[in-house]
Amino acid sequence: MSVLVLALLLSATPHAPQQAGSALLDPTREARVQALGKMLRCPMCQGLSIADSGSSAARAQMDRVRELVAEGKTDDEIRAYFVARYGEWALLEPPAHGVNWLVFLLPVALVLVGALVIGRLVRHSSVAQAAGAQPAPSPASADPYLDAVRAELKK
Amino acid sequence: MLVLLAVAAAMGLLLFAFATLFGKDPHQVPFGLKDKPAPDFTLTRLDTGETVKLSALRGRPLVLNFWASWCGPCQAEHPTLARAAKHFGGEASFFGVVFEDTPEEARKFARPMEPSFPQLIDPQSRMAVDYGVTGVPETYFIDAQGIIRDKFVGPLLDMQELASRLHALQQATGPVGASR
Amino acid sequence: MRGTLGYAFVLGGLLCAIFGAVVGIEGGLRRRPATRLWVERATTGFFLCMLGANLTMVWALVAHDFSVQYVSHVGSRSTPLVYTVVSLWSALEGSILFWGAILGVYLFAFARAQHDSRGRNVEMALGAMLGAATFFAFLIAGPANPFGPVSPVPPDGPGPNALLQNHILMVIHPPMLYCGYVGMTVPFGIAVAALLDGHLGEAWLNALRRWTLLAWTFLTVGIILGSWWAYAVLGWGGYWAWDPVENASFLPWLTATAFLHATMLQERRRVLTLWTMSLALASFALTVLGTFMTRSGIFNSVHSFTQSDIGPTFLVFLGVVVAVSIGLLAVRGPMLAPEDPLPGLASRETAILVNNLLFAALTFTILLGTVFPLVREAFFGVRVSVGAPYFNRMAIPLGIAVLFLMGVGPSLPWGRADAGTFQRQFLVPLAVGLAVLGGCLLAGLRGGAALTTFALGGFVATVTLRELFLPTFVRMREKGEKPWTSFARSAARARRRTGGYLVHLAVVLVFVAIAASQAYVQHTTGTLMPGQTLSLGGYTVRFTGLEEGADPHRRWVAARLDVTTPRGGHGTLAPRMNFYERSTDPVGSPAVASSAFDDLYLTLLAFNENGQGGSASFNMWTFPLVGWIWWSIPLFVLGALVAAWPKRRSVPVVSEGSTAAADAARGTA
Repeated sequence: MSVLVLALLLSATPHAPQQAGSALLDPTREARVQALGKMLRCPMCQGLSIADSGSSAARAQMDRVRELVAEGKTDDEIRAYFVARYGEWALLEPPAHGVNWLVFLLPVALVLVGALVIGRLVRHSSVAQAAGAQPAPSPASADPYLDAVRAELKK
Repeated sequence: MLVLLAVAAAMGLLLFAFATLFGKDPHQVPFGLKDKPAPDFTLTRLDTGETVKLSALRGRPLVLNFWASWCGPCQAEHPTLARAAKHFGGEASFFGVVFEDTPEEARKFARPMEPSFPQLIDPQSRMAVDYGVTGVPETYFIDAQGIIRDKFVGPLLDMQELASRLHALQQATGPVGASR
Repeated sequence: MRGTLGYAFVLGGLLCAIFGAVVGIEGGLRRRPATRLWVERATTGFFLCMLGANLTMVWALVAHDFSVQYVSHVGSRSTPLVYTVVSLWSALEGSILFWGAILGVYLFAFARAQHDSRGRNVEMALGAMLGAATFFAFLIAGPANPFGPVSPVPPDGPGPNALLQNHILMVIHPPMLYCGYVGMTVPFGIAVAALLDGHLGEAWLNALRRWTLLAWTFLTVGIILGSWWAYAVLGWGGYWAWDPVENASFLPWLTATAFLHATMLQERRRVLTLWTMSLALASFALTVLGTFMTRSGIFNSVHSFTQSDIGPTFLVFLGVVVAVSIGLLAVRGPMLAPEDPLPGLASRETAILVNNLLFAALTFTILLGTVFPLVREAFFGVRVSVGAPYFNRMAIPLGIAVLFLMGVGPSLPWGRADAGTFQRQFLVPLAVGLAVLGGCLLAGLRGGAALTTFALGGFVATVTLRELFLPTFVRMREKGEKPWTSFARSAARARRRTGGYLVHLAVVLVFVAIAASQAYVQHTTGTLMPGQTLSLGGYTVRFTGLEEGADPHRRWVAARLDVTTPRGGHGTLAPRMNFYERSTDPVGSPAVASSAFDDLYLTLLAFNENGQGGSASFNMWTFPLVGWIWWSIPLFVLGALVAAWPKRRSVPVVSEGSTAAADAARGTA
């Protein structure tokens, strides 16, 4: 609460320029900077990457990424630099190891199982249908859809 | 039926997971450098332009305060830190580090304050990111051996709070004299 | 005084809800004839009480009555009137109070609509909905009571959250989203009643679909407006960040969409009845989960309200909803499920099954990604993040599959496709899709995901337009009607079909706009002195100077720029930085110049007032076609209205069966 009160008392509203970001690198390396930035989480935002966020902390970190790229560090080294400071939390996509695999594999498993279920459902019932009644007689005209539209018109 | 059971089990686990997380702050950012050696830095002082190196500060606990002129809470906490620097100046070094700000603005900010502890300029906030800063204000507590023991996120408004952290820092390292 | 009055309304609402829930369920199960009257009275009572409580709160807000707790939290004498009214839903307690009002309206409307229909399921449905209402009324009366007294009464308050008073979209986006969320309560009640009853009739299925469609429409509009708000306010140049709360609104939308498709199967064949019911129940459970996410304070999100103690209460409610849903499905489900056989592989039925699989997979993936960090922290104590890179990787292939299916499904006949189907139905649309692809390649566009989307967009649009207009052409030819009459009549004969395809067109529009704005975004950044220019994608901006000012609730600095557009137009833009007393970092307001082709999007990154006229740093983007995401809203709404508009006032919903028959015109099975 006291934070708020003090902030209100200091009527000289925080109102000053901020440092601009560092100069961009050449296009190839800058593309790497931006790609890395997209994968790193901005500490003071809500789930935004440091490349997307305009906040001061994100700008500071982008400058650091740029510096590390300019120093010739690899992507892995740069990611490790941020993980050392902010934990795996810093990576917007969990690194694929251990329990983290679940988050990638479970959806794939769901799709596969679902496809299997649908396949069996359809095959089962086609067999049942073939064994039972004859399928509906095929329509006389070339386009059953147009027939249906015409039939609908006559109603 | 099996599917329903599986869904029920998964939902149960999920709800349990939620239940364990009440009261934790989801906005808190993990800090990986706790109990790790503080990264070295060489920065210049805002007032005199002298160079300050971390390695030269070894042997005394160090309090590092990150701030910016555009940050309201930083203005709010500054008097506390200034008083602390005066009071505990014999036991620990106090430095401020300017974050994402221009030297002119930082000087404007620092001028009306009573002369307190030295402020350092950090071009492109490189050193701040090295230290794992997540925003301003943040205050780091580094022991005499140069190990980051703790950091305080947000404005440090309570002198008591600061004193106890400083005390813990000395506890962690033993008395300053003994570590020499 | 206002606090006491409001609280009395809340308590009245709580009593009505409890009474109605008990009487409705109990009376319905025991088939007591007098039940209906009392449940309807309880519903009306709940509605009126919630309305009263909300009006009282608005009154207190407008009158700056700081003796009411909620007003003292979000009110401020300096806030403009419109934002004062809007602050009704700008913080936790108020938003739940507002939720109660919408719930009251929905329940009342449902009771009125079903007034003439007989059967115990109406009582049970209202009972179940009032059960949910009991929870919300309890929240408002207890853990989230906004009417508590304040002592001593402060002279002024802090005003609502800075981000929420930055844009006018905040006035309409939350109510739309709430209408979508709360609306899912009605399908939930209907599904619970059907399960309790052990029977799902034609009319009841119809009511289920209708009310879901209504909620779905609000949810669609709410989500798109939300993305628009994010784009226009947050200033990072995006409209969707896969934020937990954005995901939370998307999840019930996905299950509701799957449900709307599954019901098409339902009315033709008794297949997957349980699955369909599960989707209706899941949509509600997911809205509760979403609300929990926003309000529990355990998720890190741009929208989340501050830490509060309603989390545990909400968790219990979520548990109850899930337990009731699963329990009912397990115990009563088998009574609903005498299943018909399915036809062969290449049929509309199968397409709908695959559609449901894709939507289920999307729901599961997004849910998993959203809760995974919490699971990781709860069971392993490790903090991880799951953000945009993950969701894009997983959801984009599924989304493209959905788009593909939107072309395939409508082209397949009900029943069984014969050998000629492919040639008859697919040749032309496929040719159009390939032509689009060729055109894009010739125009120099590259990028797998985007080009696939454009090609599929051409394919789907062709299929959809053919399905929309073929009956019209047939009528024109064979009956000699004028085009417009012919379209209106054929549309009127198959409203849901027509509405559905209009919505499909809107979806294609959104897909194409998203793909274009993501793949062909251009970005630059630069620091300018007055008179200097920055160019990007045919746009040139010239910095003319800084400007500052103050509103009652904030101060701001704007950078003025002259803009020249690629088509020779001129204008000025002024991206701003707003300084609120309560936030450390300034909140940027981007400036956007929109056109049908692309948007120019400017944000002010930093500025320096020293020197002649100062200097300023900008982020500059161009986003091709991005505006079409939000301009699709009218098409979505039109489609939904066409599909859901009641036929005639006097005819009860049962007669909708004839529309179903019209819709079946397509099939031969």
